[in-house]
Parts: sequence; structure tokens; C-alpha cells
Amino acid sequence: MSTGGPTPPGKPQAHALNCPGCGAALTVRSFNNAVTIVCDSCHSILDAKDPNLKILQQFKAATGKDRLVIPLGTRGKIRGIDYEVIGFERRTIHVEGVAYSWHEYVLFNPYKGFRYLTEYDGHWNDCSTLKALPEIVSFSSPPKVKYLGETYKHFQTARASTSFVLGEFPWQVRVGESVEVSDYVSPPRVLSSEQTGNEVIWSMGEYMLGKDVWKAFRLPGSPPVAVGVYENQPSPRSGEAKSIWRTFAFFLLALVILMIGFDLAASKDQVFTGYYRFDSNKRGEASFVTDDFEVKGHASNVELTTSTDVNNRWIYLNYALINEATGQAFDFGREVSYYHGYDSDGSWSEGSANDTVAVPRVPPGRYYLRVEPEGDVGNGTTYYTITIKRDVPQYSFYGIALGALLLPAIVFSWRALSFEHLRWAESDHPVITSGDDE
Amino acid sequence: MMRVLYVLYGMAVLVGLSVAEYQGWSLTRISEVKNVPRSVRDNPGSYRSVYSSYHHYSGGK
Repeated sequence: MSTGGPTPPGKPQAHALNCPGCGAALTVRSFNNAVTIVCDSCHSILDAKDPNLKILQQFKAATGKDRLVIPLGTRGKIRGIDYEVIGFERRTIHVEGVAYSWHEYVLFNPYKGFRYLTEYDGHWNDCSTLKALPEIVSFSSPPKVKYLGETYKHFQTARASTSFVLGEFPWQVRVGESVEVSDYVSPPRVLSSEQTGNEVIWSMGEYMLGKDVWKAFRLPGSPPVAVGVYENQPSPRSGEAKSIWRTFAFFLLALVILMIGFDLAASKDQVFTGYYRFDSNKRGEASFVTDDFEVKGHASNVELTTSTDVNNRWIYLNYALINEATGQAFDFGREVSYYHGYDSDGSWSEGSANDTVAVPRVPPGRYYLRVEPEGDVGNGTTYYTITIKRDVPQYSFYGIALGALLLPAIVFSWRALSFEHLRWAESDHPVITSGDDE
Repeated sequence: MMRVLYVLYGMAVLVGLSVAEYQGWSLTRISEVKNVPRSVRDNPGSYRSVYSSYHHYSGGK
């Protein structure tokens, strides 16, 4: 792409000429701003600056291979300014023996000059040449450039050749000519440099949706469906993931506030404690009941802690927390076991001599505890203490809530990363994962 | 749209957590038994826990 300042005519109108090659009528839409004109009939590339329209090149083109989805002469509004499509070219790069082609439409406004629309697999970019050079960021990998405070990452460098042209161009276009094209991306923008010898031309493109192009040029039908992820296609997932993480941060703060609040509000009253012994060698009824105790406040949990002296053995305690007045019982069993030793892997331990359990939604009232200890004959005597507290915060709920809040944020991030993975898979800097090696 | 759904979901999680904490829910399996006879107070052996003779762990590594 190349452009100079436009030369506005007195009154915009098409100018008619004839092709010196075939005599076909030529329509010149950019007035004396065109440098080359391509004859649609004989595919002669003509020197628009020459009064006799000298033929610069003739090329053969397969008819119908390049269907212009925006016909030459179509007018549309880009960024609020009227433009007319005056030229079209197909450019091709070869990567690992595979040809990739894209289309470029040259747009012209007599007062604003030229801009370009590019299309690849249904992905569109609105491009214009830069008036200032981007700054190359030193020692960066992948290479980066900065322009207007924005950093662009190198995406791909390839040799692009012009394989088909039609209409008018503000530069000396030739079929077969090639330039080195480097793209640097910062979605939704892309900076492209085109180098021919010592001359480098920079342009900036901004991603456009096909439906916006169709709307701008009032084209019939619907645009071709975009295939895959394009180099500067804005990720719909990226913004989503960032927004979800910001919301997650808010929820995390709320979670911490809730935890502190409930911890401060919880009574954590110790309502009972008793010290007992159990001789597993002794036959007979082992069950007993404790003294009664008062459980106050609204219906909430009670936390029962069993502290024992088990050492390489176990004790099982059947508990029933019984309401004296209503006969309602909360029945549960707790095994307390602690084992440790030493083997070829080193020292090991398993279990704990203490156990804590929360009994849910216990209404206020007077309660007693029925305790029935069990143990292996030969285990001997186990000493244990039972402590009951009322209204104790259960921190495991906070862990579950944290996981529940974190899960969607992780899923959104994963989806955003998948989008970026697809984007960079087509670049000179693909993201390598272990799965790609297979 | 997704953010709105996440906000609603997160609020539901926090409300659920608050209800669980206030009402004193627990992750432990507890059986509720109605109308335990008063005689248990004097004769603890007359009540049999649903977890009585539960399969117990009986050894270390």
C-alpha cells in the first residue's frame, strides 16, 4: 500500500478514457490521483500519469477466481466519511508451501485521500497508511513496536506478492511484484510494514466485522462467515475474563468481610465439657449419659470436640445429642484413630488423636449427651475429653464458596486463553503446549 | 451478559453461604431421631445409635 495526498478536483465526477491495449472504455474515479489503472477487459496495467496511458504490464488472470464482494465504484461510509471503491488486488504469501491469499480494496475520497479494506477468510480490516514511524522496542522477544503509546507484538513476517489487480492504484502496481510484509498486532489493531529495498511503508489496520462492512457499503445479502481467529481479531473472551476477575475480586472481598462478620457475631460459647475413660477390656454396657446443659440462641450448630490419648489404636464413639424436653436426638458416630510408625519410606503417621464435628441446626433447649464408646478388646484404657461449643463458624463453607466463585473465573480465563492460542497458532510465534507435540 | 450472570451466581453463592452460616449447617452426616424415650436418661443402654457397631477402622499402615 502506498499513498500520497489527494488532489481534490473542483467537482467530483468520473473521467472516461479508453484502454490503448484493447480499446475498452476505462473509468477513472480518482481523477489525477491514480498512478496506475488496470483495464478490466485485457488486464493491461496502464501508466495513469502518461497522457497516452502507456502499457506497463499485461497479465493473465483466470476469470471468476476473484469475485469482488464490493464492486468497483461502490460508495460507502467509513468512519462517517464517504469513500468509493476504486481498486482491488489479491496478494498472496507462501508459508511452508501453502499459499494464503487476501484481498485489498482501494478506497478513495477526493478530500481525505486513500484508505484500504482488506479481507481474509471473512475477516475485515480498515487500513490507512501511517504518517509517523512506529518505534521499535529493543531486545524484545517476540519483537515489538510502539505507536501512539500502544505496544504491538510481532505476528508474522512473509514475502507477499501481488497476484491480481483491478481498477486504480495510487502507486505503481505490478502483478508478480513482491514485498516483505511484517505484521504487529495489538487487537483490534494491526501495524503492517511493507519493505521494498530501502523503502518501508507502515499502515495501521483496525478489525471490522463483515456485517459492518456490508452496512457501510449497503451491500446486498450477508457477508461471508469469518473462518477461524484472525491475527488482530479482538477476543470476545478477553474482556469477559477481565470483567469476571474484577467481579471475583469484589466477591473475594465480600467473602472475607462475611467471614470476619460471622466470626465476630458467633457466640462460640462452651456449653459442656467432660473428662472420661473407656476400658475396652471390660465387658458390660459401656454407654452413659452426661449431665444436661443449656444450648442458647437461635437454631444454629453445636461443635463437639473429642480429644483422646489414642496412640496406634482407635476408639469409636456413638453420640446422641438429646433434647430433654422434646426427645429430639442428633445421632452420629465418630472414629478417632491415630497411627504412626517407621518403614522403608521413612516415618509415617495417619489420623489424629482429636476430632471435631459440627452438629447442624440445633434448636435452643436443654440437652444431654448419650455416649457409647467402642474399641478393640486389648486396646486397654482410653482417656478422652468431650467439649461442646455453641454457634461456631464453619470455615469449610468459605473454602467451598471460594471454589464456587473461582470456578467460573477459571473457565472464562481458559476460554480466553484458548482464543489467544488459536490466534497465535498462525503466527511466527505459536504457543507451544505439550498437546501440540503429539 | 456473562458478567451479569456471574454477578447473580456470585450473589447466590454468598447468600447461600450466609444462610448456611447463620442457620448452622454442617457437612457432617447426622441422623435426626424423633421422640427418644425419657428412659434413656436413666437407662442409656436402652437406646441404640444408628451408628452402633458401624464398621470401624482397625489398623494403621
